[in-house]
Amino acid sequence: MQGFIKEHLRPLAGSVGLHVVLVGALAIAALRWTSQQPPVELAIQGYLVDGPAKVRPLSEPREAPVEQVPPPVEAVKPPEPEVEPPPERKAEEVAAAERAAAEAREQQLAQERVAQERAAQLAREQAAAEAQAKRKAAEDAERKKAEAAEARRKAEEKAQAEREAKLRAEREADLQRRLAAEEEEGAAAAARAGVMDEYRLMLVQTIERNWIRPPSARAGLECTLYVTQAPGGTVVDVKLGPCNGDQVVRESITTAVYKSSPLPAPRDPRAFERRLEIVFRPKE
Amino acid sequence: MQAMVATRKSRAGATLLALVSLLFTMPGHAQLRLDITQGVRDAVPIAVVPFGGQAEGGSNDIAAVVANDLRMSGRFAPLERRDMVTRPTSGAEIRFEDWRLLNSDFIVVGRVEPDGAGLAVSFELHNVQTGASLLAQRLPSNEKGLRATAHRIADLVFERLTGIPGAFSTRIAYVAVDGKPPAQRYRLIVADADGFNPRTVLESREPIMSPAWSPDGQDLAYVSFEGKASAVYVQRLATGQRSRVSARAGINGAPAWSPDGRGLALTLSRDGNLDIYTLDLRTQTLTRVTSDEAIDTEAEWSKDGQSLFFTSDRAGNAQVYRVRLDDSRRAERVTFTNGYNARPRLSPDGKELAMVTLDRGGYRIAVMDLASRNLRVLTDARQDESPSFAPNGALVIYATREGGRGSLAIASSDGAFQQRLSSDQGDVRDPAWQPFGPRT
Repeated sequence: MQGFIKEHLRPLAGSVGLHVVLVGALAIAALRWTSQQPPVELAIQGYLVDGPAKVRPLSEPREAPVEQVPPPVEAVKPPEPEVEPPPERKAEEVAAAERAAAEAREQQLAQERVAQERAAQLAREQAAAEAQAKRKAAEDAERKKAEAAEARRKAEEKAQAEREAKLRAEREADLQRRLAAEEEEGAAAAARAGVMDEYRLMLVQTIERNWIRPPSARAGLECTLYVTQAPGGTVVDVKLGPCNGDQVVRESITTAVYKSSPLPAPRDPRAFERRLEIVFRPKE
Repeated sequence: MQAMVATRKSRAGATLLALVSLLFTMPGHAQLRLDITQGVRDAVPIAVVPFGGQAEGGSNDIAAVVANDLRMSGRFAPLERRDMVTRPTSGAEIRFEDWRLLNSDFIVVGRVEPDGAGLAVSFELHNVQTGASLLAQRLPSNEKGLRATAHRIADLVFERLTGIPGAFSTRIAYVAVDGKPPAQRYRLIVADADGFNPRTVLESREPIMSPAWSPDGQDLAYVSFEGKASAVYVQRLATGQRSRVSARAGINGAPAWSPDGRGLALTLSRDGNLDIYTLDLRTQTLTRVTSDEAIDTEAEWSKDGQSLFFTSDRAGNAQVYRVRLDDSRRAERVTFTNGYNARPRLSPDGKELAMVTLDRGGYRIAVMDLASRNLRVLTDARQDESPSFAPNGALVIYATREGGRGSLAIASSDGAFQQRLSSDQGDVRDPAWQPFGPRT
C-alpha cells in the first residue's frame, strides 16, 4: 500500500492538486457570484421559507386535480343563438322564418340534447373522475398511510437496529475492556513469574555462595530447612526439616542460611515470600 | 466461532493465571521452594581469639597453635589477629554481630587458669552466624603441656566442624641430613604434626631411611646403615629400646608394619634379587612373597592384612601391584595411568592409595581410589616423594626437593591445597605420619 502510494505519489499529488485548484476556483467563483447577486440571495431565502409549505401538500391527500378540472358546462356551452326574427318580414318569410325557427328549435333542441348528453357525459366523466380521484386519493392516503407505517416501521427497525448496534458495540467495548484487563492481568502475572524466577535464582545463588560444603555433604544428601525471613530479608528463624546428613552438615547449612542474611530482595516487592523451603541436595 | 473459542481459551488462561497469581499473593500459605545443589569448597572462616590468662605471641600461645593447626588442615581460614576488635575469653563476652561483620562463621574463645598445682584450659566454640554454642570444655594441663593442650583443642574443633577426627595431636617421623659427604650427619626425628618439638630418636654418620610407624604408634621401624650395611631396626619411642630385626646379606629395606603389628614386610636381596618378604616379629619367621626377576620393593599392607601392595618394574617401568599372601605366585597390576607409579601408601580407611606418579614431566604425589582406579594428582612440583597419610585421611605429608634440598609439605587428600612445612633442620626427607594408635 505504502509502495503504491510512493510509486503513484506524483500523479496522485497532481490529480489532488488539480482538484484543489478546480474546486478552489469554483468556490471563489461561487463566492463572487453570490456576493454580486444579493437579490438571488433573497430569492434563495424565499425558497427556503417556502420549502416547508411546498412540502406539506405532499404528505396530504391530493385534491388539486379536482380543482384543476374546468367546469364542463360553462366551457362547452355554445353562444346563445338569435331566436326571434325581425317582425316586419313576409309570410314566406314568416314560413321560412317559422321553418327556420323550427329548424333552429330543432337545432337548439338537438344542441340542447347534445349539450345535455355532453353534460351528462361530462357529469359521468366528472363523477368517474371524482370517483377515481377519490379512489386515488384514498389509495394515496392508503399508500401514504402504508408508507408512513412503513417509514415508522423502518424507523423503528432502524432505531431497533441502532439500539442493538449500540448494545453490541457496548458489549464489544466491554468485552474488549475485559479482554484488555485480562491480558494486562496475564502480562502482570507473567511479569511476576519472571520476577519470581529471578528472585528464586538470587536466593539460591546467595545461599550456594555461603554454603561451605563439609566433606560429608556428598551426593545423596537431602536436607530441608524451613526458613522465615522478615520483610527486609533478615533471617529470623531456621528450622531443620527432614535431613539425612550428620551434625556437621546440619551446622553447615544452617550457617549458610544465617550467613546469607539479609537475603536478597525481589525486584517486585509482591514476589517477596516470608517462608522459604530450602532443600540442600548436592550433586557430586 | 473461532473468535469465541479463542476468547474462551484466553479467558481460561487468564483465569488460570489469575488463580496462580492469587496463590502467589496469598499470604501465609505459600512457601518458596529453593533447591541448593552446590556449595563452595572454601576454607571455613573462624576466629580463634587469644586465650585469656596468657601472654600473646609466646611459644605456648594456645590460640596461635590452634589457629595454625586449623590453617594447616587447609579447611579453615583463621581470622588475622590484627583484625580482631575485641578479645572475649568466654561465650558470655562474645558480641556475635562484631564477628559477623568480620565474616567469621565460628569463634573459639578460652582462657588458662591455675588449677591446683597445674593449669586448666577452658575453651568454647560458637557458631557466629547462629549464636549456638557448639563446644565447651575444660582441659587439665601444665606449663609444658600447653601446646599439646592446644593441639587437643584444635582436634576437637576440627572434628566438631568437619566430622573428621583431628590429627593435630599426632606426630611425624622424618630423616634430616646435614653436612656434606663424608662428614654427613643423619638424624631420625619425631616431631609434633606442626613440626614443633622435634626430638632426635637416632643419630648416625651413616644413612637412615624409611621410618615406619607401628599400627599402635608406639614403635618405629627403620633402615640404618650404621653397621656399614643396611639393617632393619624396630625402636620403642617411649623407652628408646630398639632391636635389629633383619640384617641379612645384601639389602634389608623398606619395612612396613602389618595391620596387627605382629609382622613386617621387607625388601630383601638375599636371594640375589630384590623381592618382598614378610617377617613375623615374634617367631622371626621369614616368608618370601614375590620371586620375580624384576625389582619388587616398597611393600604396603592391605587393611585386612591379606595382601600386599608393592612397586615392581616387571612391566619395564615402575608400577604398583597387589599380591595375595595366600596366592603369592600371581600379582595383579593396580596402576595403569602414567608411566611411573611407586611407593604405595594406604589411606587409613583402606580405600585409597597414595603414591608417587610421573605426571606431566614431574614426580608428583597422587591418590588413587582403589574401587574406581581413578588417579588424582595432589601436587605440582617436580620431585615429590614418600607420601604418607595423616591418620584421619584428610592430609598427606610428603617430601619435596628443591635446589637439591629436601623439605616436607602437606597436601589435602582432596587436592584442594598444599603447604610447605618450614624446617631449620637442613635436608629433610622420608616423612611418616603417626597413626592414631589407641586413643586416650
